[in-house]
Amino acid sequence: MTLDWNVVWQYRGDLAQGVLLTIALTVATMAIAVPGGIAVMLMRQSHVRAVSFAGTVFVEFFRNVPLILLVYWAFYVLPILTDIQFSAFATGLVAMCLNVSAYNAETFRAGVNSIRKGQLEAAMAMGMSRSQAMRKVVLPQAVRRILPVLASTWVSLFKDTSLVSVIAVGELAHTALQIRSQTFRVLEMLTAMAAIYWLLGYPQAKIVDWIHRKYGVTE
Amino acid sequence: MESTAAGLRKNGDQPPVVQYDGVVKRFGSLTVLNGVSARVNKGEVVCLIGPSGSGKSTLLRCTNALEIADGGRVVFEGQPLPKTEGELRHVRQRMGMVFQNFELFPHMTALENVAVGPITILGANPAEARAKAQMLLEKVGLGAKGGNHPSALSGGQQQRVAIARALAMDPDVMLFDEPTSALDPETIGEVLNVMKRLAEEGMTMVVVTHEMSFARRVANWILVFDEGRVIEEGPPAQIFDAPTHARTQSFLSHLGWNG
Amino acid sequence: MDFDFSPIVDNWGFLAQGLLITIELSVATIVAATLVGIALGLGRVYGPGWLRVPLTFYVDSMRAIPVLVVLVWTFFAFPLVTGITLPPFWAALAALTLHISAFVSEILRAGLNSIRPGQVRAARALGMSGAQIVRKILFPQAVVRMLPAYGSLLSVTIKDTAIASVIAVPDLMRQSETIAAQNYAPIEVFTTAMLAYFLILFPVTRAVEAFYRRVAHLGRS
Repeated sequence: MTLDWNVVWQYRGDLAQGVLLTIALTVATMAIAVPGGIAVMLMRQSHVRAVSFAGTVFVEFFRNVPLILLVYWAFYVLPILTDIQFSAFATGLVAMCLNVSAYNAETFRAGVNSIRKGQLEAAMAMGMSRSQAMRKVVLPQAVRRILPVLASTWVSLFKDTSLVSVIAVGELAHTALQIRSQTFRVLEMLTAMAAIYWLLGYPQAKIVDWIHRKYGVTE
Repeated sequence: MESTAAGLRKNGDQPPVVQYDGVVKRFGSLTVLNGVSARVNKGEVVCLIGPSGSGKSTLLRCTNALEIADGGRVVFEGQPLPKTEGELRHVRQRMGMVFQNFELFPHMTALENVAVGPITILGANPAEARAKAQMLLEKVGLGAKGGNHPSALSGGQQQRVAIARALAMDPDVMLFDEPTSALDPETIGEVLNVMKRLAEEGMTMVVVTHEMSFARRVANWILVFDEGRVIEEGPPAQIFDAPTHARTQSFLSHLGWNG
Repeated sequence: MDFDFSPIVDNWGFLAQGLLITIELSVATIVAATLVGIALGLGRVYGPGWLRVPLTFYVDSMRAIPVLVVLVWTFFAFPLVTGITLPPFWAALAALTLHISAFVSEILRAGLNSIRPGQVRAARALGMSGAQIVRKILFPQAVVRMLPAYGSLLSVTIKDTAIASVIAVPDLMRQSETIAAQNYAPIEVFTTAMLAYFLILFPVTRAVEAFYRRVAHLGRS
C-alpha cells in the first residue's frame, strides 16, 4: 500500500473552508440556543399549563431523538412546513438549534433550581425585592453551576456538527469525505479528518476541564 | 513529671499500650505537633483537651498512622509503629477508631457496616461475624436497627453503629476523634453513655473531646494541648479543679468551666 | 399536505428488523463500553503513573473527536491498515465502544473522586488494604453516584447507534432511509422513526432517574 499524504496539503484550501464552516455552525448554534434555551426554560415555568406543557414536550422530545435523524427530518420537513427553500447550512442550523436549545433549557432549569430556597429568602429578608434577589443573589450562583455544563455542551455541539454532513453541508466532515471519494485516498483523508478534529477538539476538552475545576461545585 | 505521674496512674506499673516519644508533625511550614510525649496505660481513659487546632486530632491520627509523624515515634504495645503500609494495616486492625463525622459506609446496612471488618479483613466466617455484629449492635442499644442503612439513622445512632464497627475488630485500644462534635445536643448523651460503659468494662481509650463533663467524670488522665504541645497533664480532679498552667485556666474558663 | 403512512404499514417488518438491530447494537455497545470504561477509569485513578498518561491521552482524544469520524475510520480506514475488514455491525460496535468507554471512564473517575476522604480514612483505620478499600468502599458508592450521568450516557449511546447507518448498519435509521427513498415518503417515515426512538429513549432515561432516586442514599456519605 502506498500512501500519498500530499493529498491533504493539496486540498488544504477546501479543508480550511470546512473547518471555518464547522466553527461557524458551532458558534451560530450556541448563539441561538442560549437565548432559545432560556426561552424554553421560561415556558416551562409558565403558570399557563398549555405553555409549560409545550416547553416540557420540547425539551423531552428533542433530547430523546437522534440528532442525525433530526437533521434528515428537518431537511425534508422544513421546506414543506414553511414553503421556504432552506440552504443545507440553514437546515443543519435549525436541527442543531432544536437539539441544543432543549439541552440548554434543562441546564438552565437545573442551575436555577440548585440554588437553595433559603438564599432567596435570606436576600428578601434583607429587604431586597424578588427580582433584586434573583439578580444579585440567585443568578450569580446559578451561573457558576451553568457555565461548566454549557462548556461541555459546547464541545458536544462542536463534534455533533459533523452529523450535518449527511445533508451535504460543506463543513469539515463532509469536505473530507468528499475529497476521499474524489481521490480514493481513503486512509489519508480519513486520518487527516480525525487529526484535524483532534487538533480543534483536544484544546476545547482541556478548557472544559479547566472550567469545571474553576467553577465546579463539589458538594 | 513522667516518673511522679506514673505512680499515680492506673496500671502505671505495667508497660503502656501506647507511648508517644517527642512526636513532631508538620503540614508544610506549619508545625502541628511540636514534640509531644505521653503514655496511655492499659484500661485507661485518656482525654485530649485544648483549643481547636492545638494538635489533639493530629496526635490521634498519628497513633494509627493515618498521619505519619515527621519526628519522634509512636510505640504501640512495645513496638514502634512499622514503616510499611502492609505492616501498618495489621497494627490498625488492633486499634479501633471513631470519627467526628461517623464515616459509616452508606451502601451497607448497619449490620453490614459492623460485620465488614471481620469478614473482609480478618477473613471471619460471615455467619459468625454477622451474629457477633448483631450482639455488638445490641450492646450499643441498636439491636433492632441492623437492617437500616445509615441514611435512615439519626446522628447519634450512626455514631453508635460506628463504635460497634470499631469494636467488631476486638481492638486493644479505641481512638475517638471528637465523637460528639457533629451531633445534635439531644443525641450526644446516648453516645457518651456507650463510651462510659466501654470505659467501665476496662477498654483502653484515647478520646479527643470538647465534652468537659465527660472528661471530668470518665477520664483517668487528661492531656491539655496548646499550640502543638502538651502543656499540662494530670488526673481530672487536678486539671479541672486546680489547673496550674495559665493557658489551661483560660481555656477552661472560655468554656465556662467553673469546677 | 397529504400524508400517506401506508409505506410504513406495508414495510413494518423491514422497519421492525431495523429496530431490532438498533436495540442489539445499543445493548452490545452499553455492555462492552461499560466494561472497558470501568477498566480505563480504574487504571486512570489507581494505575501506575506510566499507565495514567496514555489512558488520559486516549480518553481526552475520544472526547475531542466526533463519533462519526471514529465510525468512518474504523469501517473504511482500519481495514487498509490491518487488512482486517469488519462487517458493518461489528465495526459499529467497535467504534462506539472505543468512543463511549472513554465517557464511562470519565464518569467513574468523577464518581470515585467525589467520595470524601473520610471514607478512605475510616476504611484504613479498620485495617483494609488499598484494593479492599476500592472494591468494598469506593467502587460501590461511585457506582451509585455515577447513575445520573450514566443514564444520560445510555441515552447518548442509543442515539449514537443511529450514526452507524452511515456505514450501512441496517438499523432503524438506515431502514427508515431506505423506505423513505423507495416510497418517497420521507416526512411520514422519519416522523415515525423519531417517535420510535423517543419511545425507546424516554422510558430508559426515566427508569434510570427513578432507580437513582431510590438508591441515591446508598452513595451519600
